[in-house]
Parts: sequence; structure tokens; C-alpha cells
Amino acid sequence: MTDRNDFISREKFMQELMRYKKGSVSRRHFLGVTGLGLATSVLGATLGRQAMAQTNIGDRVVLASWPNYHDPADFDSFKALTGAAVDLNVFGSNEEMLAKLQAGGTGWDVFVPTNYTISTYVELGLIEPLDMSLIPNYDPASFDPRFAGPGTVDGKIYAVSKDWGTTGMATNTANNGGKALTSWKEFWDMTQAEFSGRTTVHDYQLTTIGNALKYFGYSFNSIDPKELADAEKLLLAVKPHLFAITSDYQPAMRNGDAWLAMCWTGDGKQLNRDMPEIEYTLGKEGGEIWSDFYAVPVGAPHREAAYALINYLLDPAINMKETLFHGQPVADARVNAMLTPERLADPILYPAADLLSALEFGAAQTLTNPDRAELMARFKSA
Amino acid sequence: MLVLPLIVVFVFSFGERGPAGGYAPAFSFDNFLNLGARWAAFKNTMVLAPIGTLACLLIAYPLAYFLAVRASPKWQTMLLILVIVPFWTSILIRSYAWIFLLGGKGLPSLIAAMGLGHIQLINTPFAVLVGIVYGYLPLMVFPIYVSLERLDKRLLEAASDLGAPPMNTFLTVTLPLSMPGVATGCMLVFILLMGEFLIPAMLGGGKVFFVGNALVDLFVQSRNWAFGSAVAVALVLVMLITVTAYMRFTRRWAGGRDDISLM
Amino acid sequence: MRLYALAVYLFLYVPIGIIVLFSFNAGKAASQLQGLSVQWYGKALSNTFVVEAFQNSLVVALTSSILATVFGTMAALALQSVKGKSRALFDAMIYIAVMVPGIVIGIATLIAMVTLFDLVNPALKALFAGAANAPQLGLGYGSLIAAHGLFSMSLVIIIVRARISGMDRSLIEASADLGATPWGTFRQVTLPQIAPGILAGFLLAFTFSFDDFIIAFFVAGSNTTLPIYVFSSIRRGVTPEINAIGSMVLAVSLCLLIAAQSILRRKADKS
Repeated sequence: MTDRNDFISREKFMQELMRYKKGSVSRRHFLGVTGLGLATSVLGATLGRQAMAQTNIGDRVVLASWPNYHDPADFDSFKALTGAAVDLNVFGSNEEMLAKLQAGGTGWDVFVPTNYTISTYVELGLIEPLDMSLIPNYDPASFDPRFAGPGTVDGKIYAVSKDWGTTGMATNTANNGGKALTSWKEFWDMTQAEFSGRTTVHDYQLTTIGNALKYFGYSFNSIDPKELADAEKLLLAVKPHLFAITSDYQPAMRNGDAWLAMCWTGDGKQLNRDMPEIEYTLGKEGGEIWSDFYAVPVGAPHREAAYALINYLLDPAINMKETLFHGQPVADARVNAMLTPERLADPILYPAADLLSALEFGAAQTLTNPDRAELMARFKSA
Repeated sequence: MLVLPLIVVFVFSFGERGPAGGYAPAFSFDNFLNLGARWAAFKNTMVLAPIGTLACLLIAYPLAYFLAVRASPKWQTMLLILVIVPFWTSILIRSYAWIFLLGGKGLPSLIAAMGLGHIQLINTPFAVLVGIVYGYLPLMVFPIYVSLERLDKRLLEAASDLGAPPMNTFLTVTLPLSMPGVATGCMLVFILLMGEFLIPAMLGGGKVFFVGNALVDLFVQSRNWAFGSAVAVALVLVMLITVTAYMRFTRRWAGGRDDISLM
Repeated sequence: MRLYALAVYLFLYVPIGIIVLFSFNAGKAASQLQGLSVQWYGKALSNTFVVEAFQNSLVVALTSSILATVFGTMAALALQSVKGKSRALFDAMIYIAVMVPGIVIGIATLIAMVTLFDLVNPALKALFAGAANAPQLGLGYGSLIAAHGLFSMSLVIIIVRARISGMDRSLIEASADLGATPWGTFRQVTLPQIAPGILAGFLLAFTFSFDDFIIAFFVAGSNTTLPIYVFSSIRRGVTPEINAIGSMVLAVSLCLLIAAQSILRRKADKS
């Protein structure tokens, strides 16, 4: 792992932040050195607000999220500002998060559900409608409704938009004559041939089953028993040729064990940034487009800190740092206004319109459908 | 009290999956009829657990023999302690070290550098076996060491004085007398292996699946508590049958002696 | 023979060596050495979550092993006086309990607890109607201690029973003949004889609980124990901080082991 902060190192940022807090440097100096100056206008307002809002929110906040999804430096600065340390728990699938919440006693304050799961969480009474007065940084008008919309159920906001992205594939082109794969057909066929023993797929029913369904041209969200049976046949045939079934495939891609991975936008961007020979592409048959959210589970033990953390992460200046770190696009126009034109034209983050239009959002039915759950479990235990 | 949890699992195994996952009360044998869907996990466990036990035994026996019979008394305790020390770091961290050692940058790159070509070690049954042997070796060494240590050394001397070749002495005197230790060690390791989850999860990359992994999946991913309970009941039954059979067998083998116990 | 032993020790210690080596890594990577530093030890020790996880592990291990030892010993003694058919039944039950894998204990406790909470929590809510914070039960310390205690109790029973069966019964009879009360006999004759078994059972129970991952994974709720913390760190992307934690646990247990060894030796020298 390399230090992946785009502006300054975490330590340096903390130093500057402490100096700023002690008053030994001016705000302008602080913003200038840390690179946050880009966002001076917005930040000016929010930093002031946060400094004022430094009431006691406790010493911790527990966050359940995904692999490679947050800049640790932002947690450090959150702790410096509020005194609350972020306890990060990482999960590889929405099903796993749901299972934990259903069993109860998770102790989570904030977690990161994907668009298609939110209506189920609301139905099961597992998440609370957000108190928007505690998240002043959330400005509904500046969020793209396509990505922020699923957070609202029955007119109430239960979850606020974190970022969005796609599910495609990362190819280490050095092992494929310089070419990246461009379809799910190739993905599954080549896994059984040239890439045998070199491919990873997600430990996640939605994408692994969904992209197997795309091989046959079925809907990514299908729960049709016949179509699922076809997908299962394909998955079972592919299984002996896989390197691993895991949602945390960056280490294997980086050290050369894996050459091809079912991959989310941000991981694709992070891999490509450090190793340009790894390219991220979408399957031309389609696949998944998704958006992730911040939500607060019912009975969150550190509720105040939960809201403070969400509000902090949605601060456009911080959100910009986050998106530059994790490499997923965000739905907030205020953040996009601060990004460079090159960034906004990055084909990994913003794929061409014809590729994008073929993608599907995950459907709520896939989360609770017993057949898909059992298919995934059978595939793994085969 | 001791069997209470088992009763709960037993009751749940006749239920069904709730609409969003979890458990809904019902009475049916569907879960048991569906056990075939986890056949591969049971097969994996039933193959790899005995092989793992055997591998442990084969590696542990000569070491225990060396420690009990050959090592100089001055070093004996020290060497014994050295066997348990690795046991004191979390199995998680130790398995993690093996992820590195067996991964592309570890042993395989060494093998490739020697010109022997590419070979994948991590995420294979072999990697899981290495993890198993590494994790459970001390549990095998100790019981065998204890039984060899108790062995009357004069018997060995007598045998060699009478001109018996060392191999014969070993086969006719040492080995039979150390059988209780071997049986205990094997039992201990086998029982723990049957319920193993961590080692295959870490070194198998989701590709080498034990019943334990299938169970975790059923509770933590697909949220089918009823079916999960049925799998758990089946696992306990399989263990009871194999272990009982094993005890009968070893007891007869050891000449009806009664000193083979679980501990 | 000696070479063979050496090879086995190498096998045992190369991974440990790697753990310790990387704990001194100056860089962030857990697989690429970039100079030496002790910074990760500082980071681990000043990380509240690590310290807390360690405390949780200690509390859970102590409580559950004490409970398991007390109840396990009592059960073992009580079983002595049970004879005939019911004795065979109890024996079979213990036999089964020992056989049940930890993972099944974890699942069973999870199911039992969640079912219990579903029954009790609405009642609590009704009882405290109007109160802002009605007490609600959930997974946590209680369920974890119960599960660990349950699992190690069968270990304790077996160990203590082995000790009891090796005990000299005539002493107890002699004590009774000499007019000692049953309690007196127990305290002055039985207990000293089975004490080593009790101690061994306690140590085994403690070690098991301290190192357990799988049961805690199911029933710990929001209480993080050290193995759970390490597991989630590995998923978070490993930094040498974990290696530092592992090395410290290793160092501490080594010290304890050496201390215990020297105390035992001194005792042996005296007698």
C-alpha cells in the first residue's frame, strides 16, 4: 500500500490542522498548504460551523462500510475536530450488513447501504428517518436525483448519498497483450481459458450472479428460476478456474496473483492510478450501476456522533478529498464544480453514454430473494 | 445446560427462512431433504479433516519422539516450550503470515526463480492443509510426547541389549506403547478440524469450503437460519458417528485398554 | 533426527519471524519492507480500540473461565455420586457436548439469545412504557460470556473428572470414618487432590476464550474482542499495526511462560 493522499500526507495534514487550531498559522495558510484552499468559499462557512458545533459528541463513532472506501486522513481530522474516533468495520456485501442488523446488537452508528437495499431496511424498521437539521451540509438541490433518490422512502429521507459507480472488470493488460476485456462474455469465457486461476469475483450475490446472468443476456436483476439455473451452471463451471471469491481483490491484483477481477469503479481507479497496466472497463452487455448512502441504524449507540460524521463527510471540501482518494464519482454538484475538467472526463469514473445506458440499478427483490441467496451459497460451497 | 443450545438448534432446523431472511417457525423436513446442496462442503471436510489430522500426526510423531527420547534433558523443557509458543499468537495473525508466504510474492516467486515455473499455492487445498498443520501441530505433539515420556526407557535398553534391531524395537515396543497419545492427539485435532472455519476462509480464498464456512455463509450472508440449523445438526451427527466409530476402533486396536480418553 | 526437528522448528518459526519482522516496518505495507521503525507499536498502544478490545478479551476470558471452572467442577463432583442408568445418560451428554464444534455453539447461542430477546424486549418495553430509554437486551458481554462458559465447561468437567477418577478414594473414607463433616472432607481432602485438575481446566478455558474468534464472531454484538479486532483489521487492509499487536501478545505470553517456569522450578527445588 502506498500513501494515496493526493494533496499532502496524513501526518502533514494533521500537523497543519493542529497548528491552525492552535492559531499559529492563519486559516489562509492552512487552507493553502492542505490544498483545501480550492474550496475556500464553501469550507470557510463549514469549518466555522463545525468549530462552533464542537459540543461533546462522545469519544467514538462506529462506521460499517466497504473495502478501500474512505481516506483515513479524513477520519483523523474528524477526530481532531470533534474528539470522536472512527471505528471502521469493513464488509463485502449488503447481505452481510443486513444479516448483522437483523441479528441485532451491531453497535453501528453509521453504515453504508447500496441503493436497492434501503426500502427493505425501512420495511424491516432497521434504519431511522434522518434528522436533516443535523446534516446542514446536505443540500438536496445539488444532488443528482438519479443517485440520491433511493434514499427517500415514502417522502422521508432515510439515507443521504455518499457516491455512485459501476461494476465492471479490471484487467491486468500486461497479461493480455495490452488489451482490456470489454464484455461479460469474454470475462467468463477467458476465465475458463487464458485467465484460468487468475480471476476473482465478488463475494456478493448481486454482482456475481448478476454478471453471470449478463453472459446469457438476461437482466442483471433476474429472479426467474430458469435464468438463475443457467447462471448457476455457468458459475459452477467457472469455479475451478477462479483465483478467489472475494470482495477485497486489490491486494491480489496488486501483487500479481490475480490478472482479472470483477471490480467496482473506485477499486478500478485506485488500481489504475498506481498500476496503469490495470485497466477498468464495463461489459458491453450491461451490468450494474449503483449508488451508496450513509444511513443511521435504529438504536445507534452514538447517535450524535453519527450525524456529526455524516455531516462532516458531506462537507463538499471533505467529500472532494474522499472522492479523490476512493475514486468513485459523487452525486454532489458542489463537489463536481471543484474538480478539474480532466477528472470529470475520466472514462473510469464517467463511462461513455452508450455503455452507461446499458447498465441497471440493483432491484430490491434481489436482496430478499431466497433463490439468489441460496444459489450464491451453493456456488461458494461447491 | 450443556445440551440446551443443541436442542435450540434442533428445534430451529425444522423451521423455515423468514421472508427477509432469519427464521420463521414451521414444521417440515425440507431443510434436511435439502442437505444435499451442501454435499460438497461435507465432502471437503470429511476428506481434508482426516488428511489434515494424518499430516499433523506424521509431522508431530518424529518430533515428539525426538523430544521425549533423544533430546538432551537440559534442552527438553526449552524445546517443548518452543513448540507451544507459536500457539500463543492469534491463529488469525499466523494464518495471515501464511497468506504472505504462500502468495505470489512468497514461496511461488522463489520456486519460479529456481526455474520451476508458475505454481499457485494460495487459495488451494494445499494452502489450507499447511495452515491446518501449522495451527494444530502443538495439539498433536503434546499428547504423543506425554505418552512417550512415560515409556519405561529400560524396556528400550532391554530390547537393544537383546540384539533387536532399532526398527524392530520401535515397531514392537515404542509404537504400541505410544498409541494412547496418538489416539488422543488425533481425536483432538480431528474434532477441532471438523468445525474449522478460519483457516479455509483465510487460506482458501472462498474456494476451499468446509462445513464451518457453509454455516457462516448461511447465517451471515444468505440469512437462512433454519437451513443453517439443519446443517449444524447434520455436522454434529456426522461427528458423533465418526468419533464413536473411531473410539471403538482404536480401543480394539490398542488391545481393549481403557486409557484412551478425550483429554 | 536432529535435522528433522530443526526443520519442524523452522516451519514453526518462519511465519512468526515474518510477523515480528514486519511489525518493525517503517512503511505502511504489510508485505514490503521499507526501513525499520517502532512507530506501529506506538500506534497500536495509543489506539483506543485496540486497548479496549484487549480489555474486553481479558474480562470475557476471566469471567467465562471462572464460571466454567466453578460449575464444571461442581458438575464433575456431582456426577461422581450419580450411578447406574442416569450416569450413562449424563456421560453420553458430556460426550456429545465435548464433540460439538465451537461454531455450532456460536450459532446456537446466537439463535437462543435472539429468540429470548424477541420475547423479553417487548415485555420490557411495555413495563417501562413512557420512559425514554426502556432497557433493551441485546447481544454483547452477556451472550459472549455465556457461550464461552458453556463451551469450556465441558472441557473442565472432563479434566476434573479424570483427576477425580485417579484420586485415592480410601482417603475420603478414612476422613469420614474419623468423623469429619462432608464439607470438611471436601475442603481438606478432596479439594487439594483435585486442585491440579481444576487449575488445568481453568487455564485451558482461559486460553480458549482469549483466543476464540468464531463464537465471538456470532454473539459478541458490538463488543470487540482482540481476535475480532484483528479479523476486521485484516479486512480493512493490513498495516503493520496488526503485526505489532501480534508480536506484543507473543512477547507477553513468553514472559508469563518463563515466569511460570522459573516459579515452578523454584518450587521443585525447595521440595
